[in-house]
Amino acid sequence: MEKISLVFRKKDCMGCHACEVACKQEHGLGVGPRLVRVLEKSPDYVPIYCHHCAKAPCVEACPVEAISRNEQGIVLIDDDLCIGCKECLEACPFGAMQFEDRREVALKCDLCQHRLAENKPPACISVCPTACIYLGGKKSIAAVFEKTP
Amino acid sequence: MSEVRHIRTVCRSCHGGCGVIAHVKNGEVIKVEGDPESPISHGTMCAKGLAITQLAYHPDRILYPMRKDNGDWKRICWDEALDTVAAKLKKIAAAHGPESIIIGQGTGRDFESHFSRFGNLLGTPNMLTAGHMCYLSRIGATLTTCGRHPAIDYANNPKCIVMWACNPLWTNPDEYKGVSFWRAYEKGAKLIVIDPRKGFLAKRADLWLQLRPGTDAALTMGFFRVIIDEELYDREFVSQYIHGWDSFVARVKQDYSLDRVAEITWVKQELIRKAARLYAITKPAGIHWGVPTEQTNNCTDFTRTAVGLMAATGNLDAPGGNVFHEPPGTRKISEFSANRALSDEQRKKRLGGDQYRLAARMTIVTPKCAWDAILTGKPYPVKAGYLVATNPVVSRANAREVYHALKKLEFLAVSDFFLTPTAELADIFLPAGTWLEQDHVSENWKYHGYVLARQKVVEIGECWQDHKIFMELGKRMGQQWWDTIEDSLDWLLEPTGLTWQEFKKKGYLHGEQKYYKYREKGFSTPTRKVELYSTILENWGRDPLPKYTEIPESPFSRPDLAEKYPYILNAGLRTPTFFHSANRQIPWLREIRPDPIVEIHPATAEKHGIGEGDWVWIESPRGRIKEKAKLNNGIDPSVIVAEHGWWFPETGSADHGWEVSNINMLTDNSHESMDPVMGATNLRVLLCNICRCGDD
Repeated sequence: MEKISLVFRKKDCMGCHACEVACKQEHGLGVGPRLVRVLEKSPDYVPIYCHHCAKAPCVEACPVEAISRNEQGIVLIDDDLCIGCKECLEACPFGAMQFEDRREVALKCDLCQHRLAENKPPACISVCPTACIYLGGKKSIAAVFEKTP
Repeated sequence: MSEVRHIRTVCRSCHGGCGVIAHVKNGEVIKVEGDPESPISHGTMCAKGLAITQLAYHPDRILYPMRKDNGDWKRICWDEALDTVAAKLKKIAAAHGPESIIIGQGTGRDFESHFSRFGNLLGTPNMLTAGHMCYLSRIGATLTTCGRHPAIDYANNPKCIVMWACNPLWTNPDEYKGVSFWRAYEKGAKLIVIDPRKGFLAKRADLWLQLRPGTDAALTMGFFRVIIDEELYDREFVSQYIHGWDSFVARVKQDYSLDRVAEITWVKQELIRKAARLYAITKPAGIHWGVPTEQTNNCTDFTRTAVGLMAATGNLDAPGGNVFHEPPGTRKISEFSANRALSDEQRKKRLGGDQYRLAARMTIVTPKCAWDAILTGKPYPVKAGYLVATNPVVSRANAREVYHALKKLEFLAVSDFFLTPTAELADIFLPAGTWLEQDHVSENWKYHGYVLARQKVVEIGECWQDHKIFMELGKRMGQQWWDTIEDSLDWLLEPTGLTWQEFKKKGYLHGEQKYYKYREKGFSTPTRKVELYSTILENWGRDPLPKYTEIPESPFSRPDLAEKYPYILNAGLRTPTFFHSANRQIPWLREIRPDPIVEIHPATAEKHGIGEGDWVWIESPRGRIKEKAKLNNGIDPSVIVAEHGWWFPETGSADHGWEVSNINMLTDNSHESMDPVMGATNLRVLLCNICRCGDD
């Protein structure tokens, strides 16, 4: 089956942070972990998010095999297995891996798989006013960038 | 497990309008989502709206009425609260006349009609809103120039969009939201951005005009100069539908050479030429303009010239240009507001009414006149206030004066969500409902042709929607209101043939759009034409032709001050997380923006030994505050850009740090600094100096 992933078309991100709050709400997160985050360097905005890498450094770094990529291509952490060692935070080249102090576990984007199951886009995608966040397999993402002038 | 109900409603975390689906479980909102069927927001939502559950269920929110006893807040019941306010206001009105009571609102929670009705039936002409320098000021200026507010027509895809001092993707847009702009832009529209600061849109623009802050009205004159010299105007429209074209042309030719415009605005002549040509030649083209143009002494004249540009290029009421949207047919705000109930005798007593004639026509006063009356007792004493959804201690110019004026009132009632620095000055606190707790025909005052059903999703604590507070307080004052909110909404909707219950199911109404209406009826002005030469202003003894007046505190108007305060402070930078002084206590939003930000050009910062993240003193002739430095090479090195609206709810003290980072400690509200007919305060452009905290 074709793998899916998350892609921001960075040049269309205008730093409104709606994706961040939608994500917090969807995952019931308080202050602290930010599964998606937009850094401001006006006039540029840099989204930090999980790319669900095909060869994911976080998966490779985890000493207890708590992180894996499922058949859809979504990289997930098994909370019960995570020992809170933060190796994955060090390994992630995008700074996307987060940590929840309260439960002492690593935390990451799960592509809102519960929403995908209901045929709904992830929370971040659903609110973006410039529609700069995309979900899709290799083909659909290629189509996104082909359309870029 | 209890069922989750989905309720369709409409956001009001800013000026509002975005469609929302609220998820409710066990009587509590657990989540909000964008409504894909909303004609305004098309399923999107912003950070502020998405954080509503953290506001509505915030531990600091006040959920019951309170009375202040010897400096301490005590919980009371609604009956006691309303009886106390009614008795106080009646007593003061009997002793000093109803004009001795001010009522005030900020940007509001969509209760303008109720606010005005309460004031009119009370008999006070002294209603304070943000309107003297925000939105109502553009309604006033467009009313006098072309009869109605011409909003950009994104639905018909302008081929050229002029984004003038505005970023609808970030903040508080009025008619259309950012998503509508974006869709039109994505279809290939040319984009001209006019902004002193290089933001996201400036980066994307075909042309970016980086003007000196506050010189917008000179730049419109520059556009006109090109359009006139190169004869790019619509001859037929100009000859048939513009009143005073020849005298306006004479003024532009005499006073606004491109050389002079470039000198005033700092925008190169060639760039002005290119932008004016692009706007004038591309059809259709629309102008989307923002509030910074209104928050200076040039408030009215800028809007008048912007309307002039739409008119002269044939884009007024043309599809894809700037159009007069047809109202959806509900009762008008003015009718609901009972404007006629205010007697001529009381109307004449409006503070500053003789001076600020346009503000008076819009039935408001500029707040400076109210502070003057409270503090000096002239022209008559003002003794009491009722402030709703407003935090003037933070959001109005010359904050220190505002604070002292409110403190001096014999009686003050405030209605809000939290104990703000303003609410802390009150004697009675009335807990207001958020938009989740409101039934209303929303957006009825806007000029986009829609009304939308905002329906109550939950009730929280003892909070009431503002409309009900006005209504129940009004009844106790002997005013005529309806029995229930639903009765009042039925009356508002009556001409549409719908009841509130039916409207709620329908979701929204849209007026039938027609274009070029002026061809049959002309424009709703005294001459039935677009009045570039205003007969109304002429009757008021004002200059009938628009012009640029130098900013009262600039390096050019005040070289004496500029020695000590060498930088231009461009105050009031908006953020996508906060709405003026709101939301500083919302965890999700404060995490994104924990500190007040001042933007400084790297070269300027280096000169002062300021690094990214340093706290910086910003000082104006009126005081100093501190904000945190962010380096930005997208601003002119002589311009300092600073956020507004800051106070610190987290501090335990009753002042909540309102003086620490409040940009309005620095702004001026002298009569000389305001727009001469609207009383718009200059919240945007002044002189300042900076230094690193610790170096002082």
